[in-house]
Amino acid sequence: MMIQEVRVITKAGIPDSKGEEILYEISHALGINTVQKVRTARVFRFEGIGASDAALLAERLLAESVFQDFSVNSPVINDATIVLEVAYKPGVMNPEAASIVKSAADLGVAGLLAADSSWEYGFYGENITGADIERITSSLLVNATVEYVVREKPKTLIIQGKPGRTEVIPVRQMSDTELIELSRDKLFLNLEEMQVIKDYFRRIGRDPTDCEIETIAQTWSEHCGHKTFKARLIVDGKEKTPLLKRLKNATEESNHPLVLSAFVDNSGVMEFYDGQAICGKVETHNSPSAIEPYGGAMTGSGGVFRDIVGTGRGAKTLASTDMFCFARPDTPDEDIPAGCLHPHYLLRRVVAGVRDYGNRMGIPTNNGSVHFHRDFRAKPTVIVGAYGILPAELCRKGRPRAGDLVIALGGRTGRDGIHGATFSSGEMTDRTIDVNSSAVQIGHPIEEKRTFDAILVARDEGLIRAITDCGAGGFASAVGEMGSEVGARIALDRAPLKYPGLSPWEIMESESQERMVLAVDPEHAGRLMEICRGYNVEATVLGEFTGDKCFSATYEGQVVMNLEMEFLHNGLPQRVMNAAWRPACFAEPEAVPAADWEDLYCRVMGHLNVCSKEPIVRLYDHGVQGTSALPPFSGINGDGPNDAAIMAPILGKPYGMVISHGLNPVLNMIDPYHGSLWAAAEAVSNAIASGVNPRDLMLMDNFIWPFPDEELLGALDLAVDACVDFVRGTGMPFISGKDSLSSTYRGKDGTVIKIPPILCISAFGRVPDVSRTVSADFKKTGTKIVLAGYRNTAEMAGSVYYDLLGHIGNNLPKLSPTALMHVFEAVYGAINSGKLLACHDISEGGVAAALAEMCFGGDMGAQVIIPEGELAENFLFNETAGCFLAEIPADSNPSDIFGDIPCQVIGKTTDRKVIAAEQSGKTLFETRLDRLRAAWRQPMKEVFRQ
Amino acid sequence: MKKPRVCVLRTDGINCDEEMFYAFEKAGAESQMVHVNQLRSKEVQLADYQILALPGGFSYGDDVHSGKILAVELTSFLKEQLSEFVDSGKLMLGICNGFQVLVRTGLLPDRNQGNIEATLTVNDSGHFECRWIRLLVEPSHCVFTRGMEGSLIDIQVAHGEGKFYSDPSVIEKIEHGGQVVFRYAGADGKPTALYPANPNGSLNFIAGICDSTGRIMGMMPHPERYVEKTQHPNWRRMPEDTVPHGLAIFKNAVEYARQM
Repeated sequence: MMIQEVRVITKAGIPDSKGEEILYEISHALGINTVQKVRTARVFRFEGIGASDAALLAERLLAESVFQDFSVNSPVINDATIVLEVAYKPGVMNPEAASIVKSAADLGVAGLLAADSSWEYGFYGENITGADIERITSSLLVNATVEYVVREKPKTLIIQGKPGRTEVIPVRQMSDTELIELSRDKLFLNLEEMQVIKDYFRRIGRDPTDCEIETIAQTWSEHCGHKTFKARLIVDGKEKTPLLKRLKNATEESNHPLVLSAFVDNSGVMEFYDGQAICGKVETHNSPSAIEPYGGAMTGSGGVFRDIVGTGRGAKTLASTDMFCFARPDTPDEDIPAGCLHPHYLLRRVVAGVRDYGNRMGIPTNNGSVHFHRDFRAKPTVIVGAYGILPAELCRKGRPRAGDLVIALGGRTGRDGIHGATFSSGEMTDRTIDVNSSAVQIGHPIEEKRTFDAILVARDEGLIRAITDCGAGGFASAVGEMGSEVGARIALDRAPLKYPGLSPWEIMESESQERMVLAVDPEHAGRLMEICRGYNVEATVLGEFTGDKCFSATYEGQVVMNLEMEFLHNGLPQRVMNAAWRPACFAEPEAVPAADWEDLYCRVMGHLNVCSKEPIVRLYDHGVQGTSALPPFSGINGDGPNDAAIMAPILGKPYGMVISHGLNPVLNMIDPYHGSLWAAAEAVSNAIASGVNPRDLMLMDNFIWPFPDEELLGALDLAVDACVDFVRGTGMPFISGKDSLSSTYRGKDGTVIKIPPILCISAFGRVPDVSRTVSADFKKTGTKIVLAGYRNTAEMAGSVYYDLLGHIGNNLPKLSPTALMHVFEAVYGAINSGKLLACHDISEGGVAAALAEMCFGGDMGAQVIIPEGELAENFLFNETAGCFLAEIPADSNPSDIFGDIPCQVIGKTTDRKVIAAEQSGKTLFETRLDRLRAAWRQPMKEVFRQ
Repeated sequence: MKKPRVCVLRTDGINCDEEMFYAFEKAGAESQMVHVNQLRSKEVQLADYQILALPGGFSYGDDVHSGKILAVELTSFLKEQLSEFVDSGKLMLGICNGFQVLVRTGLLPDRNQGNIEATLTVNDSGHFECRWIRLLVEPSHCVFTRGMEGSLIDIQVAHGEGKFYSDPSVIEKIEHGGQVVFRYAGADGKPTALYPANPNGSLNFIAGICDSTGRIMGMMPHPERYVEKTQHPNWRRMPEDTVPHGLAIFKNAVEYARQM
């Protein structure tokens, strides 16, 4: 039977907002002016039913006659200059297809074998050239990794295939060259590691199967194995404790009473209130996002949410966060390296991915940031975080017992995501998009949502012995890790597949999203299955935990894998790595007095690293679950940014959870030690400024580093030392962390671009009563503005002000963790006593930016007096973290409130909507709030068309 | 006094269920989470409840149209139960995705199941938007807004498909029948078409409607997200005794159901 096609279009005269959006991008992002109008239509295809059933579906399901027209098996856009259709490539899961099939069944349509949906675009304009369409197609409409332009009607929608046979890889005979060739672009192991594999199989007297060697490669990947963080480190010829061990030791030494689980589970867990615990995890998803930003960001969010539900015996996800670094959205095309996507496209598509995953799952995205630096043009940094809550008694990782069943829950296994773990451990090259395109996929948040719904019911009924997510490495990683102490055997042919044709090794390694693995006592399996059916969740018994300490797998009765857990998990040789940091030298600019203060202030506010990110935040549902107690923006006009997110996760209770982070794209290049201290100080300051007790905070680290050569490893070593010193100075422990050491790009022409080394520190913690927290917007006119904290205003390196001068500088802010803790205690005490009306921490853009943001929120002005002897530019634009601007009542005295930390009144709030500054009786500037606000809003408003 | 029972309907992708559950409990009802599968299998009877609440979210991913797949499911399997529920004088509330579902079942604007007379379509801005806005409560038959008529309430919207749209004849019927419950309002308290005070470009600034009995109500904004003072973004700027604006809607429903 032929494929039936239904096309649906918005009636003429009713706005086609998708078409308008595309038209805007064609003219604004691509600068093409030949297109006058764009119309869009949906295309639905059905296999197995006749035209009359297709018409019925069109009327009852696909088109709404109030505003749409449809056609069956005929075109619907008839008058456009050019019409083209874009669809997902066969094999890329289209989440909509399953809904269409379900609804067709609900409507009583029988015989439907498969369905698909896609978009059709009609372009209007007499002068449109083929080259215009080519650019529009490749830059806006099609990501060739997952989509294609449909040139002819498909003959079938059903994907067929025969699984390949399990191959034996003759590693025992291979030369070093052959081992390297085997590893390249696929296994990403080095020669020494390949030799260890060869030696092992020589010892046991056989060659490995493809399934075995793939499983070893992914378990040993940098992504899963953290080889650099566990390596023996020789710094300037002297051995130092491995990086990970150093962080763990610092946490242990801090002996923090609220830590429930650190570094051992999918997320770090701390004590909350009333027998509850809260947990947090932050991940990077740079490599997939670089080649397919929408799918990459989606699967990043989906993966980090699964880390939360995979914590202890299962946690509920409460919040989603996102921190990004890109090149400037207006980067000229010719500056983009071969094989890389344009940052304007990347930024919009990454945001769309985070938006669609979080919003659809109903997880508020309420904390994040976006940073820009030229060197991210080769690869963006995409960091996603998630936070959750669970009963404290269930917060420890469960251990499977021999005889427990291995049960897979959630989505089906497809060919998508093959080699994700190994791929993300490799460097980006101009071959990356071609060779590794199967490592990205489109997420299915609804699948994940219903899976979580079912898991939380099963958890509350005590049915889960242990749980983990199928992250990078698929079943190989999930089952391999879970069964590492007892052993496990699974039948790969039992795994439900998206389509036939997967070889056993592909089923084992597939990183298809939205899957969880549970260890369940056979006694509870029936009830678990019943719960899953009730939530439309597929659950399958794959095998069992055995007690033989081997990881084995069968396919149609044949053994395709049988590895000793001991070799799999402990066979990886510890690397020995040399590190030596050489201080960078960036010239300091000459002090040039500002010629036009108003212009300078506007340029600082409009700097990409300072400007308002509100247009992004509005795309995220940050209010779902009803838990918000301090949203990303508040104030009279809802445009005053806050420092942290505070949520009250248990409705009706006053308990708060705080989330914040710190990241600077420049400082680690100048000095990885002080740059890293800055990131930690910034993360904590954001929480403190909102009124959180520093003794109620936990930290998480994300090191995003270029491939560690000796020098970059030296930088990493110093960054870790900074983290350790921060823990020692403040008592705040790290309880989770992750490293991604592949931010290097290598082009065919020899171009090497090292992405700036990034340390992102995230902080989360608890607050006994959210009503004792503050927001950043000024509340009253005539109040005093106080600057509190230690700073040396000459330390200007890495600041936005220097960037505007075209400099980086060497003299960066140098922080002392013990002094910082003193400030944190004082500011927390001041807020807790109810004496601060508003508080905001100092970061990019300095005092000037913080002041303007507080004025925006309060919709009022400020009058500032710059102290005698201070260089005004430094006073206003210095970016030392751990400093705060606070609003206190007119009749109060800062030293009564802040005690003995440095604090000074720098001005007052005014009812004139002007920010004015004077020094030595001379007015420096009087700038209208509106002007600053417009400059501050402009950059992202333009990119996101709001 | 016996607490009215609320059926909070869940299915794949519904995600504002817990705050809906809580809002009704806080208003004095007994809430229960019910999966649509439980109604289909008759494990749970709709008749055992006085209020049916359809929460927000992305039911079945909002595939094809927002709320569509769930609407088709309800009209295919539960049409009679839903009709009986309404005919026996009980209440239905659809918020956000729930409103989209009610419109797509035909229960709104006026209990015409299986016939779609109005729609909620893509915001004029072309994108999803989450922000606090103001609503003007119109005089209407609606039992959910008794005593609130003429007031302005602060509330959060979070949707990408909230533009209320229909034929002029249907709009006129709704307007004349006193079925418009909420309109988007500007800073001056007057209905507005201006973005972002009106986040989606709805015809006649409509944010929520009821049927002609006033017992079925659907609205795009989220009153269940403002039943505690600290849920407001600016609670720190507000008087101590501020009553959260969303709570009255749930209390009205519970009060009405109690007298059933």
